[in-house]
Amino acid sequence: MHAQVPRNFRLLDELEKGEKGLGDPNVSYGLERGDDNTLSNWMGMIQGPPGGSHEGRLYSVSIHCGPNYPQEAPRVRFVCRINMNCVNQNNGNVDPHAFRIIGNWNPTYSMETILVELRKEMNSAANKRLPQPPEGSNY
Amino acid sequence: MANLSRRIQKETERLSMDAVPGISAAPDPNNSRYFHIQISGPQSTPYESGIFALELFLPDDYPMCPPKVRFLTKIYHPNVDRLGRICLDILKDKWSPALQIRSVLLSIQALMSAPNPDDPLDPAIARHWKEDESGANRTAREWCLTYACH
Repeated sequence: MHAQVPRNFRLLDELEKGEKGLGDPNVSYGLERGDDNTLSNWMGMIQGPPGGSHEGRLYSVSIHCGPNYPQEAPRVRFVCRINMNCVNQNNGNVDPHAFRIIGNWNPTYSMETILVELRKEMNSAANKRLPQPPEGSNY
Repeated sequence: MANLSRRIQKETERLSMDAVPGISAAPDPNNSRYFHIQISGPQSTPYESGIFALELFLPDDYPMCPPKVRFLTKIYHPNVDRLGRICLDILKDKWSPALQIRSVLLSIQALMSAPNPDDPLDPAIARHWKEDESGANRTAREWCLTYACH
């Protein structure tokens, strides 16, 4: 029987993993503010995958982990404008109905999972060739 | 909670029946491996009269691995970082299954009495301690009054 890891210790583990740069090299993440004792507000970076319209781009993603993380999925929002079918065109919010990882969230997923899967989604058939807004534009 | 090892059950009982002066440790009602801690700032330190909240968790492998613990109350101390993470040898390489939750909490209380700027978690705070100990102690006192005293 596995102990249920409390929210804060789970987030500290993720923080450490992010700080050490372990895991997928195409994404990175950390606290938005180094003194955020509540461990709620995170900033992730995704390197656009090669071979599609996101190639060579770096996307910032804001992730908010609420009090019931990891039982409840975080809220995810692109800071940089992106044309992608699961991202709201007006505010950058990732739509849970269109992005399976958030819609069908599982506590074994992590913030890294979200970033890696968003990156994969960028190169999906639906998204790969979509024209993108100018680089550096934000919502 | 089912399957909570006998050792953890005994430790939990003992923590309340035979409490260490100045330290309280209560298991969370929803998770018996998760503890809410309060440590009173030791006398004759800048932390005196403060009550410091901490949280502690016993991972699956406990006691083969150490508990995880961090300060929730802000504290100005060279061995504690901005997120309350603690640099203490028994929480890392010097852990042994012969130690207990009690030993960890006592060591943290001792660390509050004897900051070690030579093994810092926050280099800026450590530098302050080494270059101007009385100034650092003053800051520690101010933070204590602001965050740990109600």
